[in-house]
Amino acid sequence: MTWITWRQFRTQTWITLGCLAAIAIVLAISGHDLADLWTSSGAAACHSHCGTATNSFLTRVGRSFNHKIFNLSTAVLYVVPGLIGIFWGAPLIARELEAGTHRLAFNQSVTRTRWLVAKLTIVGGAAAVTVGLLSWAVSAWAHHIDRANANRIGPMLFGARGIVPIGYVLFAFALGVTLGMLIRRTVPAMAATLTVYVAAVVSMPLWIRAHLVPTRHLMIALDVSKLRGIGVSTGDGRMQVEGGATPANSWVLTNTTITPTGHVFTGPANLQLCGPDVGTHACENWVGSLGLRQNIIYQPGSHFWSLQWAETGTFVVASGLLIGFCFWWIRRRLV
Amino acid sequence: MSSPVLQATGLTKRYGRRTALSDCTLSIPPGHVVGLVGPNGAGKTTLLQIAVGMLPPTSGTIEVLGGQPASGPAQLARVGYVAQDTPTYAGLSVADHLRFGAYTNPGWDLQLAADRIAKLDLDPSQKAGKLSGGQRAQLALTLAIAKRPDLLILDEPVASLDPLARREFLQSLMAYMAEHSASVILSSHLVSDLERVCDYLIVLVASRVRIADEVDDLLATHRRLIGAFRDPSELPAGIEVIEASHTDRQSTLIVRSVTPIDDPAWTVEQLTLEDLVLAYMSQAATDRESTLETVR
Repeated sequence: MTWITWRQFRTQTWITLGCLAAIAIVLAISGHDLADLWTSSGAAACHSHCGTATNSFLTRVGRSFNHKIFNLSTAVLYVVPGLIGIFWGAPLIARELEAGTHRLAFNQSVTRTRWLVAKLTIVGGAAAVTVGLLSWAVSAWAHHIDRANANRIGPMLFGARGIVPIGYVLFAFALGVTLGMLIRRTVPAMAATLTVYVAAVVSMPLWIRAHLVPTRHLMIALDVSKLRGIGVSTGDGRMQVEGGATPANSWVLTNTTITPTGHVFTGPANLQLCGPDVGTHACENWVGSLGLRQNIIYQPGSHFWSLQWAETGTFVVASGLLIGFCFWWIRRRLV
Repeated sequence: MSSPVLQATGLTKRYGRRTALSDCTLSIPPGHVVGLVGPNGAGKTTLLQIAVGMLPPTSGTIEVLGGQPASGPAQLARVGYVAQDTPTYAGLSVADHLRFGAYTNPGWDLQLAADRIAKLDLDPSQKAGKLSGGQRAQLALTLAIAKRPDLLILDEPVASLDPLARREFLQSLMAYMAEHSASVILSSHLVSDLERVCDYLIVLVASRVRIADEVDDLLATHRRLIGAFRDPSELPAGIEVIEASHTDRQSTLIVRSVTPIDDPAWTVEQLTLEDLVLAYMSQAATDRESTLETVR
């Protein structure tokens, strides 16, 4: 079984190894350049109050080609698991069913269960290793940039760092296999896999991730010198204030301004101070005199790894359920 | 060697409301080349797929070589199967297919496989997708017999082949059978395909088994009777009428009788296998019409 799986999977293996090698070369060359920038900007030697040094580093990165590599490598880590689900997962069984070759395969002296075990272990293992290596390489390459930006926990970067991409790829692969087995046609199975994968990966930061690990809560006095924005409706005096003080290196989930009595502040605005013809300074001072507080719910950067494990675990469990269903289906229902 | 190669009791398969195989009871003794004939859609593929464990029956029981179909590696190793349209991996070469067989079958006969490929004049490096229909069928047959099964099941193996490839395929099947004592079940909707190779025949029409017996016995017990017009119900007991056709003056009956018919009023004729199968098929058709009559 090992041999036939390898034989059918040979082309994909060479293509993947080629792509990984190309990416490794680009990251190695550019990583060398990044390390130089890190040293020359003074960030490497800095131990405390490094804002100036890291900002200088980030400015130089932004001007160099490394900036494009940074964005591209982050995108790659979302795209590759999807591609693996589509091109490795979906055809794995659908192509056999489409061509009728499962009738040949199932009538050798190997049970269907062992046939599926071999296919899933070899191709699924290759998928996990591929994306694991990719994520490790990108995380290592972007190490200094992520540290300077202090936003690894942010919703966009989080799914492209650490072990979460491995969870994504296992899920995409298991999804492709399952849909291929049920739909029995390669191309529709590929399309269905893409749709469900995108939905799952998008809904994660939107609705699910924040609740995987208990959030932190912060209540501080509103600092009017750091306001992110003030909105006044001149008609009825309704007002919105957004405080700008947020915990460093964190993913802010909600940021509301509340009154001393604990309600969300909505005005009414003092239109003499906050009207269209008055300077913002007077309005800010007036807001500062109201005793408002900033109410922040967030995931701190220190939750990075516990969130990584929780999200990876969620996808691994989902993949496990799909694979379990595949085994049941191939034994009981597949013809 | 005396236990049946295939024993089915009340075997039924339904797809929703459609019955593909109904109440099939069969016991096929070992050492035969069994022909399974019936029109398209009669349930031949369903029966064979149940026998190799591709399909679970809706109800009833089946034992193949004394075991449950596809119940484990040992059972799988004992049954060879060539599915309809003889599937092979289009992207894999002939040699790859043989290696696949060698890796997945403990009893793989390397020599047998290599000899057959050489004798068939197949290029081992040729991709299976580039083979002709006949060559592909031969490759699928090679895979099925090189695992040295005790029972070989072939589903319409020659349906897509031209007459020459058909003859070559059946000849190579027979050559293998002569050398190794295995049983074979092969299906076809044409009796003429099977006539030369089978010594046991099962007629399956409209999801039911009409008759199953050794060809010699079938030919010995079935007769065509021609005589003056007579009501078939007046025939003595022990004679079963399969098909009757009448003109004003003459009756032609196809009957089944264990005892010889010595009534001088009848001219008794031998039947060919094809006549016999056609008689059972038309009997099934008449049955269906009469059922419809009753329904109306």
